[in-house]
Amino acid sequence: MTSGGHCWTTNDIIPLLFQELAKYEEMEHQVTLTEKELLEDGFGDTPFYHCIITEIQGQNSSEDPKVVGFAMYYFTYDPWVGKQLYLEEFYVMDEYRGLGIGSGILRHLSNLAMKTRCTGMMFVVAENNEPSVQFYKRRGAEDLSQEEGWRLFRFDKDSLVKMAAPSEE
Amino acid sequence: MDFSIRAANVDDCKDIARMIMELAEYEKVSDHVKVTQKGASCSSSDSRLSPGTSDADLEQDGFSKNPFFHGIIAEVPEQHKTKEGHTKIGYALYFYAYSSWSGRAIYMEDLYVMPEFRGKGVGKALMSKVAQLGLAAGCHQLNFAVLDWNKPSMDFYLSQGCFDITDTMGYHCLRCEGEALKHLAQL
Repeated sequence: MTSGGHCWTTNDIIPLLFQELAKYEEMEHQVTLTEKELLEDGFGDTPFYHCIITEIQGQNSSEDPKVVGFAMYYFTYDPWVGKQLYLEEFYVMDEYRGLGIGSGILRHLSNLAMKTRCTGMMFVVAENNEPSVQFYKRRGAEDLSQEEGWRLFRFDKDSLVKMAAPSEE
Repeated sequence: MDFSIRAANVDDCKDIARMIMELAEYEKVSDHVKVTQKGASCSSSDSRLSPGTSDADLEQDGFSKNPFFHGIIAEVPEQHKTKEGHTKIGYALYFYAYSSWSGRAIYMEDLYVMPEFRGKGVGKALMSKVAQLGLAAGCHQLNFAVLDWNKPSMDFYLSQGCFDITDTMGYHCLRCEGEALKHLAQL
């Protein structure tokens, strides 16, 4: 089993993985991101995100390695404590769970966070996603929403357009 | 009231640091935060941090070749300056983020207007600028966090058309830092 430290290839796996994860969080109809956007946004002049993948070698050495897990992350900023590594997406295919792949991905990312002088790694988890909440809490993550009262808010595209319009004085 | 909104530059760091501290006071955590132009550091009494946590260096992190955040400043003319002589009376800090479902996003980390300048459209103008910048960069959403007891701010944001995804989708922010982060790296 090898962990790909290098990123994504333009195959169909990543969008499928996203679809699978969205099903897990029961929101598949909300995935509107296209493969073209993923390519532009991750591999253009100014990447908006970075990715790591985990591949496993097939039975025959002539087979291409299979992508079985990935993580998507980017850097954020907390003015009180500095750079953070933000874990946007983290997924291991069903049939490859319980093999330490997820832990391996997290270890790789924590190392990367420390190397890049981040003081923390942050992520968002749906509160009803018990397995994930426990997975992270077991590893020492604190729930800032629960402990400090932080609520996440969002403006979607339509509201953004309204807000960006010059106001009538 | 006359005011202007513009991009922050490295000379604004002193005022940004001052206002970060004022925002921390508003958020009731000022006794845990020390802010300087060079950035913020938290005292070890903050249970979230271990002693020796590195400082946030505003100048380096926001105004060097590869910035980790961007800022906008709200300024008033000389005749409206505060009694301490400040003309920079509000700010917003933001950075670009990404949603694996919808793509490019903009995250507003801080939004602050000095108390005596509130209720005059400065906050709205700062947010509007962040929205414009986000749309110009091809973003599909603007995300930010609010403390659950901060009713005035929540009411303001909700009136502008956003929604509370902690409430509607049950999303919680988790963070792994200090010893927990070091431990994860060694697993």
